[in-house]
Amino acid sequence: MNWIIGTMLLALLVPMYVAFDSQHIWQKMLAFASVSTKSSMLILAISVLRDDWTIGVVGVLVLCVGNAALMLLAQTIKQVDKW
Amino acid sequence: MVVAILSNVCIAVGLVFLLWGTWPLLGKRSVLFKLHSLSVADTLGSMAIVVGLLIRIPREWPLLVLALISLAIWNTILGYVLAYCSTEGRTND
Amino acid sequence: MIWYLELALRLIIWLLLTADLSWENIAIGVVVSLLIPRCTSTRIIRLRDWFHAGWESLVAIPQAYKEAFEIMLRPHAFEETTLEQVPPRRTPGLIFLDIFIITFTPKTIVTRYHERGWYEVHWIRRRKPE
Repeated sequence: MNWIIGTMLLALLVPMYVAFDSQHIWQKMLAFASVSTKSSMLILAISVLRDDWTIGVVGVLVLCVGNAALMLLAQTIKQVDKW
Repeated sequence: MVVAILSNVCIAVGLVFLLWGTWPLLGKRSVLFKLHSLSVADTLGSMAIVVGLLIRIPREWPLLVLALISLAIWNTILGYVLAYCSTEGRTND
Repeated sequence: MIWYLELALRLIIWLLLTADLSWENIAIGVVVSLLIPRCTSTRIIRLRDWFHAGWESLVAIPQAYKEAFEIMLRPHAFEETTLEQVPPRRTPGLIFLDIFIITFTPKTIVTRYHERGWYEVHWIRRRKPE
């Protein structure tokens, strides 16, 4: 099962790099959306691997709250851009 | 035995989707184009991985089903919101 | 008319969250789903439309995977934006579901919904659009 975690970590590094590197705000937002989903998937996979479901609950919460927060942030950025 | 193979296939497909869809983020395409490939990676790839985990360990199915549903709905809606917000400046209606 | 579907959806989410099928927990779930404010729509929604929409969203899942494989095997390098007409007599709930299904499939993303019944859909294509 370790190869799953390794590959997911590799996939997580790409949007992180993009988020730090990119100057364009929407590319950054895209990268953060990807980071949010991927990290919660990583948490879920680890919780299955270790058979510890309290970690799994944290993963599902991160999934819901992270995406909702990014949605609000996108709306805010759009409003700020208008001014 | 069959269960283990099925679960491994699901997880492998999900990982391939994840890597393939994340790679275009590094390129210099438009936000919308990257959003298409991210919808392959983050929504479909992650869903395949969760289904694989679900087949492997069905004991805690409520949590994983909830993860599956919230993955499908939140990611899709986030994609729509990002597409809507990022095209604001270019089109006037 | 549609309130019991909404109640059932909330109850399902509650039960999935708590993973506990005892009577006390179901009772608490019913109370909670009744207490959350309902979204009221003035127009009457036909049940047949909802079943149709539910079927469409089930079909959308294999469709999405098929499109994902198509994109991976053959590069879709070109982008295009089109306007798609909304079918008549759509309630807000069904329009939301339509937008959800279109965005869920990887080749298409709704970028905007115009009030007068048009979706703006962004496509990726294999060939250069004329």
